[in-house]
Amino acid sequence: MSLSKNASADGKTLTIQIRGKFDFNLVQSFRQAYADVGSQTQKVVVDLRETDYMDSSALGMLLNMKKTLSDSVETIQISNCRPQLKKILQISRFDKKFDID
Amino acid sequence: MRVLVVDDQPLNCILLKTMLEQQHYEVVIANDGAQALEILSKSEIDIVLLDVIMPVMNGFEAAPKIKDFAGDVYMPIIFITTLEDHTSFEKCLAVGGDDFIHKPFDKVILSAKIRAHARTRRLSLEANQQKKQLEYHYNQIEREHEIVEHIFSNALDQSSKYQEYCDYHLSPASMFNGDMFLMAKSPMGGFYCLLGDFTGHGLAAAVGALPASRIFYAMVSKGMAVNDIAYELNQVLNSLLPSNMFCAAAIVELSESGKSLSVWLGGLPDLYLINEAGDIVETLESQHMALGILDSDEFERNTIHLEVDTSQRLLMATDGIIETENKQGEMFGEQRLIQALKSTSHVSTERIVQHTQRFSEHSAQQDDLSIAIINCLPGKVIAKPPVEYSSLPFELGVNIDEKNIASADPILELVDVLSKVKGIGEHRSNIFLLLSEAYNNAVDHGVLGLDSDIKNKEDGFFEFYQLRASALDKLQSALIEVNVKYSPQAGTLNFSISDFGEGFRPKLNQNQDTGLQQEHGRGLRLLKEIAKEVYFNSSGNEVTIIYSLQ
Repeated sequence: MSLSKNASADGKTLTIQIRGKFDFNLVQSFRQAYADVGSQTQKVVVDLRETDYMDSSALGMLLNMKKTLSDSVETIQISNCRPQLKKILQISRFDKKFDID
Repeated sequence: MRVLVVDDQPLNCILLKTMLEQQHYEVVIANDGAQALEILSKSEIDIVLLDVIMPVMNGFEAAPKIKDFAGDVYMPIIFITTLEDHTSFEKCLAVGGDDFIHKPFDKVILSAKIRAHARTRRLSLEANQQKKQLEYHYNQIEREHEIVEHIFSNALDQSSKYQEYCDYHLSPASMFNGDMFLMAKSPMGGFYCLLGDFTGHGLAAAVGALPASRIFYAMVSKGMAVNDIAYELNQVLNSLLPSNMFCAAAIVELSESGKSLSVWLGGLPDLYLINEAGDIVETLESQHMALGILDSDEFERNTIHLEVDTSQRLLMATDGIIETENKQGEMFGEQRLIQALKSTSHVSTERIVQHTQRFSEHSAQQDDLSIAIINCLPGKVIAKPPVEYSSLPFELGVNIDEKNIASADPILELVDVLSKVKGIGEHRSNIFLLLSEAYNNAVDHGVLGLDSDIKNKEDGFFEFYQLRASALDKLQSALIEVNVKYSPQAGTLNFSISDFGEGFRPKLNQNQDTGLQQEHGRGLRLLKEIAKEVYFNSSGNEVTIIYSLQ
């Protein structure tokens, strides 16, 4: 379980990548990952390619991020979900609030 | 040097033998041509002194046979003759003679002639030896190249699997390509490709492609991000390649939806995102140093993200294209490439290469030349082979005490154990979700007695987890029991989780329509959707979940 973040070359995209398990254990580090998002950042990508597990606490964390960033960031994308995680997002109707790629 | 004296007159033989042995030559005697050939077949001879008139086989008859026998190496034949006429000389030369000595023998002339021919013989022997070595090495290299070519063609298998995604043209300057182009799909359906250009060309440049391709394929099969792939490749190439060798590369991932591109770019010429007409929508400049130069701690992971649509295509090429020279030494350059892109709608790599060839007036290609155009298409779901399940039923009980509740991650461990069972691993994300929701419900409400309504307050989400952490610190005694039952015939996994607490009433129905606004209740709803059946016991401190593996 770990979290890493990376700004794109032009500084417009922030990618937060979560490895292993995405749940409330990451509540602090996930919040910190987007805490210093500046006006330059237009897009935040939550990359779940290496995320195996996720539960409803992760959904809550994503919604919190959405609330915090909705004024400053144009899009929040949840990308590279494995099929079972994608289904969790769909069941929770996250596809209406996030750009799920 | 061994000299063979062929003469039927013993006196001549003894005379020549004595004279030559004084000069430190080894001497072998034969009395006629037939004997001479027999000796030649058995022992090493360097020079032949040959009489003309002999019984059994005379000198004229023997000379061509001796020359035949000697093959490619120069075997001097010096005729011993009393004859002085030109016709006889011509005859001697015609049958293969190289020189003459006259009777009576003059010691000085004989030794001068022998020495001269011995020198030529020695040079010829050396030359022949070298020729054999060259042949040997040439054959060896040929054979090795064949083997290496075989390995390369297998390792870098450029099958036509990805035709719809990619149009590419690779033309190495020599047998082995110092450029590599790899394509693969991830389990999530994303399309990846890597275009690399190793320093130099030929086999030395191509060797790096072997480890690089293994890493690329392995990491794509795990669906890793392009910057992680670049990091790994850099590390391996840095440790394998000599310091003056590296690999300029572009690593591209097109997401499964075909809507976004992630690119790690190090040391290659600009990439162009083009539209149908060939106009440039976006120019992607190299951000980093080539792979294999920087140490891991200096390595930069920044990638380029692009939103794309299906009409757009990404063009990538090694410097072989823009550095193609014409006869005046002028380079093809970026401007001509940009023009070539617009030369026709939906330009092909073939056509771009034709442009460079016309420009260079078809002179010999100096560097490896590779160009690829990626179509930004959504991925097709790859049909998975049916999952096979273990036929062994089992039951598993786990008692989680206060110590494990407070400090361990029991659900993750339990899911890891269950994932080892054949077939069940495929469902691990769902199993985690079910157990995690039920277990955390039991901990939060049954054991710790926390109120989820806190989550609805401003910043309540964090407050809730802070409360939870401090409550766990103070936890005195608690027990959560998890039971798992696997029924292969029914194709189900049954879980029951009890916390022996006061229980609660799930507010499931109330929350159904407000799920997104409400910070809690979402978990139970998910649980209901993923599981086949979920029910609570009457006191609300035990939940049973039936999950269907079908």
